[in-house]
Amino acid sequence: MTPNPPQNRGLTAIDGAMALIVILLIVQIWLLSATLESYLAGHREAAVPGAIISAILFAACLALYRFVRRIDSDVRRG
Amino acid sequence: MSWFRKPSSAPLWREEFSVFTADERYVNRRQFTKFLTLTSFGMLVGNLWILGRSLLRRAPSYPRLTVAATGELAVGGVKTFTYPTAQDPCILVRTAGDTCVAYSQKCTHLSCAVYYEKAQNRLECPCHQGFFSIADGSVLQGPPQRALPRVVLERQGEQWVAVRMEGETT
Amino acid sequence: MFGMEFYVDPSRCIGCQSCLKACEECDTHRGVSMINFDFLDRRETIATAAYVCWHCDNPTCAQVCPADAIKKYDDGIVGSSLKPRCIGCSNCVLACPFGIPKLVPEYEQMMKCDMCYDRTSVGKRPMCATVCPSQALAYVAPATIADTRREKPVNTFWFGNQKITTKVYMMAPADAGSIAIDVADYTWEGNHELVPQTF
Repeated sequence: MTPNPPQNRGLTAIDGAMALIVILLIVQIWLLSATLESYLAGHREAAVPGAIISAILFAACLALYRFVRRIDSDVRRG
Repeated sequence: MSWFRKPSSAPLWREEFSVFTADERYVNRRQFTKFLTLTSFGMLVGNLWILGRSLLRRAPSYPRLTVAATGELAVGGVKTFTYPTAQDPCILVRTAGDTCVAYSQKCTHLSCAVYYEKAQNRLECPCHQGFFSIADGSVLQGPPQRALPRVVLERQGEQWVAVRMEGETT
Repeated sequence: MFGMEFYVDPSRCIGCQSCLKACEECDTHRGVSMINFDFLDRRETIATAAYVCWHCDNPTCAQVCPADAIKKYDDGIVGSSLKPRCIGCSNCVLACPFGIPKLVPEYEQMMKCDMCYDRTSVGKRPMCATVCPSQALAYVAPATIADTRREKPVNTFWFGNQKITTKVYMMAPADAGSIAIDVADYTWEGNHELVPQTF
């Protein structure tokens, strides 16, 4: 009933990547709300660093997604 | 999409809708991860939108509006008006002696109308118990994160005149 | 996973239909028996054979299902059709080389043996193998078969040019590496007709 060890490892790696993405997403949500609040209050200087950090977080999410795709491709078609 | 995929003998649909439950675990996780990445992109778009708005703003010009006469209200009295447009409700409070303060009436949390609570001498929002200071509109308590935008008043003879808004981004 | 495999030996079948009755008892398929029970040539002989699903390694029924309703699980069992997905199209009924899936019109659902997954997944034997008095249907460890039977288990079948490997073993003479079935060999001509199978 347990999957083959290589398949199991692949699943564990993907689970880890997903958990990491969720954490990054939580940070990104907070960043968006904080940037928005500060912009609406008239402090426009927060917009630039907010956008840069959001882009960095998105790039990290994208890299993790590509990692997941690579694992999936390797395990199922490797 | 072909350059994304490693070449394989089985067509894409057979791999995506595999009859083996072991494969399904991978497909479901990969698709969920893709959804999360899209969400992340959506939030990036939000931040870029804010950035764009902040860079493209021009300094707004405000009209002058006569709000009330100096003797019109008793101390602790309240008058509502709209400024700068008819869609922006504001509240004027005569605080002590001869001074008046005015703020936007839309709570900075979810835009409920704030009212002046005379006993506590503060502006209160009934929706989620957000309290604002009467002195400068800053948040005393509750979910609002931003201070109430202030209407800058000028005394012109026996009139209180609203000249501009402060502490907000339109 | 529990070290036991399913072995079918039609030559041992005595036609008692205990497997049918035992399978019917299961509430998970509402009293419909999932055993494929054949009278081989009822006019000439009392010989019978009882079959369960062969749980093929690359199940044809699952591959042709348009609704993705048939799944093969990690331990090799091919499940019966998933209730929310099966549309009753009979694709699997037509596709299965062994003729195992049956379409039940009252439910518009395909039903087939799933090797009593509720039992085998926790180490019990399927109902049919438990009650078969001659052990034509047997669910035992491979060592037991090697020790007690003359025949050899075979799980490779040829249908014309198509090779099918299965999880369930057929007991065959010792020199049979794989069993070749040519459908044309089993069509009757002349005054012998296939009798309708009833169970």
